[in-house]
Amino acid sequence: MYPSMRSIELFRSVSVDDFDSCAACLLKRSNAMRRKGRRVVAGQRVLLRDEKDRLSAPLKGKNGNTSLIPYRRILKNLRRLQMKEQQKKIKDSVGVKLLKKKKRTSWFLKVKDIYSRSDERIQQVDGGFFEKFGSLFREHAEMAKTKEQEEKREVAEKAAEITPKEGDEEDNDETTLPVIAESEAEDSAASASDSDSETEKDKGDLIAAAFNIDELYTEILYIIIHNVGCNVEVSQNALFSYAQDAFRIPNDKHRKLMEEAESKADPELMINVEVIEAKELRSKDSNGLSDPFVTLYLASNSSHRYNTSVKSMTLNPIWEEHFALPITDKSIDDSLCLEVWDFDPAETVKEKLGKIFDVKGVKGMRKLVKEIAVTATTGQHVNELIGRANIPLNTIPASGMTMWYSLDKKNKVTRQGIVKVRVSFSSGKNNQVAQQEHRHMRRIILLHELELSKVAPHWWCGNFTYQGQQLLDQHIAQSGLTQTEVELCAYSVYAGVHQNHPLSFTLFSKSLEKLVKPLQTETICEEEVKLFWEATKKLLPSCFSIIRKIRKKGTTEKAVMKQVIEVLKILNYIGILEPRNIELFPSNLYPWVTFHGDGPNCDILGTLSDAVSQGANDWLNHLIENNRKPDESELARLQNLIQLIQLVRSDLQKAIEFYDKLFIDLVKFQYAKCLYIFYQAKIATLCEPEVREICKSLKKLHYIGYSYTSAPTNSDPEEDPLSEGTSLFEVYLAVQRFVTLGQGLCPADYDTFHIKNFHQWFHGGVAQWLDIAVYKALIRIEKAVELDQLVHVDTNLKYSSSAVDALTIFYQVKTFWQQLNWPDVEGCYTFIAKIIDDICRCCVFYADKMAARVDGMGDSQDVYEKKFEVTNEWCLAINNIDYVRETLEPFTRDLGMEDVLKKLADIKSPVEADRCRNTLNNVISNAIDTVRNKIIELLEIVANKMGPSMKRLLIEGAELGSQGCNTIDRLMMYVDTNLSTLHRELNDENFNRILEIVWDLLSEILNEIIQTNLEKRRPPPFFAKLRETLNLMLGSFKNPDDCSNCDALRRTEQILKINGLETADLIHQAYIEMANIFDKSKETPYGEISFRCRFQGDSLQIEVINARNLFAMDSNGASDSFVRIHLFPEHKFIGVDKPKTKTHNKTLFPLYDETFTIDLNPEQASIEDGLILFSVKDKDMLGYNNQYIGEAFLKFKDIPRTESSLSSLPQVKKWLCRPTTTETNVLKALETRQGDKQAKDFLRKYKQRMGS
Amino acid sequence: MRSTTKNTLLKVVILGDGGVGKSCLMNRFVSNQFDEHSFHTIGVEFLNKDIEIDGETYTLQIWDTAGQERFKTLRTPFYRGSDICILTYAVDDKTSFKNLDMWRKEFANYADVKENNQVPFIVVGNKSDVPTEEREVSPLEMETWCNDNGITSCIETSAKSASNVQEAFKMAVQHWLKLESRADKSETVINDTVDLSKKQTENRTSCCIGSSDDK
Ligand SMILES: Nc1nc2c(ncn2[C@@H]2O[C@H](COP(=O)(O)OP(=O)(O)OP(=O)(O)O)[C@@H](O)[C@H]2O)c(=O)[nH]1
Ligand SMILES: [Mg+2]
Repeated sequence: MYPSMRSIELFRSVSVDDFDSCAACLLKRSNAMRRKGRRVVAGQRVLLRDEKDRLSAPLKGKNGNTSLIPYRRILKNLRRLQMKEQQKKIKDSVGVKLLKKKKRTSWFLKVKDIYSRSDERIQQVDGGFFEKFGSLFREHAEMAKTKEQEEKREVAEKAAEITPKEGDEEDNDETTLPVIAESEAEDSAASASDSDSETEKDKGDLIAAAFNIDELYTEILYIIIHNVGCNVEVSQNALFSYAQDAFRIPNDKHRKLMEEAESKADPELMINVEVIEAKELRSKDSNGLSDPFVTLYLASNSSHRYNTSVKSMTLNPIWEEHFALPITDKSIDDSLCLEVWDFDPAETVKEKLGKIFDVKGVKGMRKLVKEIAVTATTGQHVNELIGRANIPLNTIPASGMTMWYSLDKKNKVTRQGIVKVRVSFSSGKNNQVAQQEHRHMRRIILLHELELSKVAPHWWCGNFTYQGQQLLDQHIAQSGLTQTEVELCAYSVYAGVHQNHPLSFTLFSKSLEKLVKPLQTETICEEEVKLFWEATKKLLPSCFSIIRKIRKKGTTEKAVMKQVIEVLKILNYIGILEPRNIELFPSNLYPWVTFHGDGPNCDILGTLSDAVSQGANDWLNHLIENNRKPDESELARLQNLIQLIQLVRSDLQKAIEFYDKLFIDLVKFQYAKCLYIFYQAKIATLCEPEVREICKSLKKLHYIGYSYTSAPTNSDPEEDPLSEGTSLFEVYLAVQRFVTLGQGLCPADYDTFHIKNFHQWFHGGVAQWLDIAVYKALIRIEKAVELDQLVHVDTNLKYSSSAVDALTIFYQVKTFWQQLNWPDVEGCYTFIAKIIDDICRCCVFYADKMAARVDGMGDSQDVYEKKFEVTNEWCLAINNIDYVRETLEPFTRDLGMEDVLKKLADIKSPVEADRCRNTLNNVISNAIDTVRNKIIELLEIVANKMGPSMKRLLIEGAELGSQGCNTIDRLMMYVDTNLSTLHRELNDENFNRILEIVWDLLSEILNEIIQTNLEKRRPPPFFAKLRETLNLMLGSFKNPDDCSNCDALRRTEQILKINGLETADLIHQAYIEMANIFDKSKETPYGEISFRCRFQGDSLQIEVINARNLFAMDSNGASDSFVRIHLFPEHKFIGVDKPKTKTHNKTLFPLYDETFTIDLNPEQASIEDGLILFSVKDKDMLGYNNQYIGEAFLKFKDIPRTESSLSSLPQVKKWLCRPTTTETNVLKALETRQGDKQAKDFLRKYKQRMGS
Repeated sequence: MRSTTKNTLLKVVILGDGGVGKSCLMNRFVSNQFDEHSFHTIGVEFLNKDIEIDGETYTLQIWDTAGQERFKTLRTPFYRGSDICILTYAVDDKTSFKNLDMWRKEFANYADVKENNQVPFIVVGNKSDVPTEEREVSPLEMETWCNDNGITSCIETSAKSASNVQEAFKMAVQHWLKLESRADKSETVINDTVDLSKKQTENRTSCCIGSSDDK
């Protein structure tokens, strides 16, 4: 991947807040490009070369490794694949997520901003990603920087003493580092500041190195001169010039030191031989086996022989015996000779062999065996040679080797077997001195090579040039250093160099991998252990720096991952070593460590946790600092918070997806959890005061009732309470999501988190959100009504689009409520009440808008009149509102009120929960009623619009009669069509409702017509015709029975009927009414009358039996009573007798005992509503003015038609009554007939009877 | 259900310190009951009640609010669109009386009303049944405070003994009527400005029952 591409990638995967730094990065890069042309590619070259090195390294005949190559390749490819996949995943999940959130415009703006700003800003960013935060930290960083500079100067001075010219060059070189190195400069600066650069000891080291440089150089020359082993690739001269370069030795000095080196005595070199084993040896004994032993010597000194022990009776002996042969002849031709013999014991030898069991210790044994061998080889030639192998010394690499050699024997072509030996060089040098030399040398070579190759920071992972490697190998070989010793040297040198020029962490993790075991098991001198820990202390700060800068931009995800893995491995190895009583994390280097324990701090996991928190902290602070602008509006502050939380969340997401497993697997550290614990506290402290303050000062949303100030007129978005509230809600949601994440991530600790109660910060905001929700709902409803085409949404559904829209809007409010997921129960309850009330308000608003929408529809004017047709639109409007109303109740249930009430009962008390339930139910039914009333209001409008036409129909009907009249037909049609439209379009409930309203309206209209026409003294036929028309009209109502429910109309119709009667009929109605009233009356003061009646054929037989408790009419306390019999209707019994009894004086209990027979014609006898009136009167003394006592009626239909005699019938007893009211409709109708004598007479008599 | 008469709907909020007897007042008024050991209200309570004045029926939608401080954010959303605000204190609790000012301000702040004198406030001193020695606020003090604050209607009540409870609500509606007629008159004067009270008036007069009012 090209670095430039990488940077683009980065732009994609970071979100707004990082653009400051990224843009700066980009700037820097492009600046560099301008300055350096193709420099950008340099980084890539480094990478390629590094890879090539790694690939070729095992090929260079490092024996044992050769077989590993294919395996390594596979591994590498595999890893590459994995990485790719991971990267893809990163891009897919994190990148894309972020990409979606990011606002392009804003970062473009920001980039522009940065461009236009002064260089100072860029420099600031260059100064480091995190380092500039916190004064303490800055101070520390500055201190470290000055110290480092001091040291650099010192070294430079020393170097200048030796080679002033090249010292200058070095300075120049630094400025021409490849681009990648430059971009990472911040990093090295960081590590420098972290690690406090060099410790005192290290400084001493460097100075010592400078002082002893001549000596060391001489030693190097000496080593080259006395090259051991094979060195094919590099000539001696090349090594000389390499060393001269590395040590920066001027030529004259080189010559001088060269002489010195040449004059020095030859080194005391030894060749170490381990005879390991032999295989497939040729048998020499009769038993098919051999008793083999090995003799070894240098060709130049064949008299000095060394023998192994004898392994009896085997062809595959294992010896594993060590020998050290001093090298005396420096000639390249010298070689090591190995001879395998079959031991054939002579007597004398046998004797000696017997001693084997007496000797103790390996050395003694060896001596003995040697003796035996000498005896054997110098004595009689009983031993038989199996084979021999020659190993020229110049085939042995300086680093030594282990190899199988085949054995041959003169003149024999057959295989004699193979022998395995390990050969290496060693010296008699002082081990401590050798190690120190080695460290210096390695350091100088490494620094030289780093400078030569201009390798980028964190790239170098242990591969020297051939020359460098060869020098080191020679030194190891010639100094006789063990692998562990060399590894320890390398480790401490690398750690030192690492402080100024970061090396690959892989280098250290591999080194530690090799060191852990020896450090645990081998006896390593105290000095070296100390060195190891010193080195580790130098290494660790950069490790924690990686952890802290895990989010650093400018490196690929892959690189970061790789580094983190290596760092974690390092921490793991160091953890395995269980450091004790070592101040691994001095507080001056780790100011952020929170360690509180006693004694030195070597708590790796604790420090790791601190580093993780600190890293997150630095990152966050950086984001905050970069986003902070002076005098920010609340809105901007809120939006910053949202972004911040989102970034934190995606950081956590990344931690969970990529790093958590690494940390757990490698160091058993719960990375994501640790991060979360830090973030939750941080977010809480960041958000809480801000949110609380903003909630307190929220500006009120101004909208009034159903009308609202259309589209926020306030052009300044900062001032707009709407966007402020919305942003606040976004913050809420962001925190909520963050908290949910925590519940899953740290279920055990969740309860202790302060952020758990985050909703309390937002307390004041909820009301605002609800207001906003209503406000938005109102706007949408208005729009929905406006857009409604007023057609059925579906052939089956009798409502139109806006009803569906309104519902959707309500459900948006519900969704908002669900999103809010308010945790506080009391609040929940109250807010639900508010939401229901608000939704009711929306419904009413909708109803009003709907009514306004259809208003005017169906109105028309033709030649005859102004009229109104019920249109589908009107019906739709009504249905829409009804549809919305119907959903109110289920909607409220959906708000989860049952759940809330249950919780209330739990945390408060069932009684209080019940009160709350009542309140909610009241609010709901209030809402439903309110909307229902809205519907009725609309129905009334429709009915009222129909009113004038109906009124006209009725009047015309009354005037003209119903027959053959055009107008009537037309009007009938009108009612019919409109009603059937209503019937078709409205649901039953609303249709019945509107019928009711129409009936109410009709009776109102009728009353009005009746009233005016009575006043006009219209004759009864007018009313009769009106009634006829009405019934005709009611007939067009689908179900006239429904009318029976309508009292008002029935009463009105009754009135109409009465007024339509001729006066005689009307009077009879008055009697019937009286009869009905009298029949119902209980005991009266006027007394009781008994009689018997029957029809015999057409003749009516009446027996007046007696009266009791008659009213005392006279002053003497008694009455002189008689009974007169009348038959009604009067006009139908003209000429018929009105018989009367005798008068019974001075008694209140007269026994009349008289029977009358009245002959009637058949019609008279069969009059349905005929009545008999028994009128009891007090006979006036003069017979002139009889006084009225009381009367009773008997209805014809109650009179038995029988042949049996009167006396066999039961007596009929009736209380005597007097009329008491003129308030009946009949009497009122009679009253209106002022000009009618008949009516007048009746009323006069009637009132007399009342009055007496 | 549908009522044949067209009632005027009025939204009434009752405010006052916790424990002054707001809920008791409402319950006495609505269901003629009194609970000696009533709980503190949670958030709000709501009841409907018809009241007849001069042959007109008014439907009161009564929102009884929670007086305790911790419910502040829960009750304030309900102030919006109120027609009548009943400020309540207890005559045996001086603090609750002193807090009337706070309540008036809280209401004015959240009810979205601009001019104070447009709001029909009435002051109710509850628990008038307490023995004289327990009394901390005299009727005179109440009247003085009302005068100072431009509130013309005040009354002492007892939810416990049912004294003056109906009267208090009646007084509130009458007070509203008075303001309403004044607003009607002023409507002709201010025609060009968008005025809250004017809007309410328009709505109300044009609506039958249930047409709302709870703005
Ligand atoms: N003596 C007397 N006590 C009363 C009267 N009215 C209410 N109380 C008592 O005062 C206490 C509180 O009454 P509530 O109606 O619950 O008070 P509140 O104003 O609704 O209180 P919050 O709901 O917390 O705002 C109860 O114990 C009642 O019994 C009254 O008129 N006289
Ligand atoms: Mg209460």
